[in-house]
Amino acid sequence: MSSDDRIAKAASLLLHSPPGEVDDVFNDIRGIVNDDEALQAQIEPVLAESNMQQFLVVDVPDKEGSKVLLTPYNQVDGGRFHDPNTNTVFAFDHLRRAAYEPEEAAESGEHTELRARLQRSLEQYVEAHFADGFVSVFEHEGSVVSCLVSNKYSPGNFWNGSWRAVWSYDVAKGQLNGSVKVRVHYFEDGNVQLDTQSDFTCDVGEGEVAEAIKKFEAEFQQGVNDGFRQLSERTFKGLRRALPVTRNRIDWEKIANYKIGGELANAE
Amino acid sequence: MADYDESENEQQMDCALDLMRRLPPQNVEENLVTLLEILPEMTEDLLSSIDQPLKIRQDSKTGRQYLVCDYNRDGDSYRSPWSNEYDPPLADGSVPSDGLRKLELAANEAFDTYTEMYYEGGVSSVYLWDMDDSFAGVILIKKVNDGTVRSKGSWDSIHVVEVLEKGRQARYKLTSTVMLYTVASGLRGDRQNEINLSGSLTRQDERDLAAEDSNAHIVNIGRMVEDMEFKMRNSLQEVYFGKTQDIVNGLRSATDLSVAKNRERLQRDLFGQLKSRNE
Repeated sequence: MSSDDRIAKAASLLLHSPPGEVDDVFNDIRGIVNDDEALQAQIEPVLAESNMQQFLVVDVPDKEGSKVLLTPYNQVDGGRFHDPNTNTVFAFDHLRRAAYEPEEAAESGEHTELRARLQRSLEQYVEAHFADGFVSVFEHEGSVVSCLVSNKYSPGNFWNGSWRAVWSYDVAKGQLNGSVKVRVHYFEDGNVQLDTQSDFTCDVGEGEVAEAIKKFEAEFQQGVNDGFRQLSERTFKGLRRALPVTRNRIDWEKIANYKIGGELANAE
Repeated sequence: MADYDESENEQQMDCALDLMRRLPPQNVEENLVTLLEILPEMTEDLLSSIDQPLKIRQDSKTGRQYLVCDYNRDGDSYRSPWSNEYDPPLADGSVPSDGLRKLELAANEAFDTYTEMYYEGGVSSVYLWDMDDSFAGVILIKKVNDGTVRSKGSWDSIHVVEVLEKGRQARYKLTSTVMLYTVASGLRGDRQNEINLSGSLTRQDERDLAAEDSNAHIVNIGRMVEDMEFKMRNSLQEVYFGKTQDIVNGLRSATDLSVAKNRERLQRDLFGQLKSRNE
């Protein structure tokens, strides 16, 4: 494998970072590659993909208090990003994670009203169900796409978690497709990770999209809790018992004397 | 790498190990392969430092199953604890000294019983090796549940023990790793939610115990491993599973938070007003 291929391989590991640990994983990759110049030449597109994959929340430059998510659905020409709420297009430095060069966007889109309505309804939903969530609604290829993220990072207590959802409403078909993904990393004396994802699809009218999203996400959460019960009550118990059937710990003296006594005597 | 540099390798190794503690344990084998491609010159070090799920093999001589890992590997061959032979055969593969081999066989029988009682199935293997004036070993246990569609999993235990004999006493240093892989599906509405909760956990223990003969080593190591697995199983179920579920339910609240958030905001405003009145 050529040196460039090896560096590309290393850089691609960034896309498997647990929530909230992209910087740590980046530092590890940097230490492993041990060639900043060569890494620098290859890392930019991977960082861009990683930032979009994580739905990074960024401040819209020159629009105080306005934030927007970085996603594949609001990326426009030349790697710039669009914030439909303030109608701004801006450039983004993926390494420093800073937006710059804001410009007013040309008016566009055929479903501006639906988009704005969905943005408002989902903001209420996020306010009601996420302690620290954020939602951005975009128009993308004839669909209205809602991206939602809720991250909680507590590395001091050895955990990080993220909830991410994409809901794409095809206006012409009246069809809603969505997927919700949750990842949790718990790392006290170890590395334990939860990974769960679910996909949804249904036909709904324009006015019912927000309600459908809310209903599906609630169902998904119940499903995950069912899954935990299943894991703890069946899967886990089926692997190793807490105690043997006798409800007593092993009598090692007996095992040793019974088995080993025989073995050693025979061997000698 | 052209110029071999000790500290450079050390830094790369530290970063590789930190990386493995962060990347999803669900893909540990895949991630290790990637690391080996990136750092081919460190293959041996990486293989001996990063735990992977254990593989089951069958001893062609005795028909019994055994586990393979880096501890019973010599080149591309693995030694069976039952026949003491390498597969594929190896003329000069390293084996324990005669006395230690007897202890190894006895330990294999004892842990076979242990595994049957706790895992109700499952495979175990014990490998011992000679050290200066002493010995060390590893106890491996694997249980796989293909189970039903709704629940499957696997459990791998890797207990590395160092024994320092001091007269009629011995000091035992135990480093235990449990690798767990579990998948469950919950059914809600008309769709399936698959959840995968997996990971590895490492703990250590050290004890000074009386050891008058080699039987005593098995009794002492046996008890230490049993205690350790008891604790680790509890941690996994109570702490890790419980904690992870709490974190999920903290990311999204099933109940409406806006009432509580409004109350908080009101309290904050009120507090702010009181404060400014007092100033």
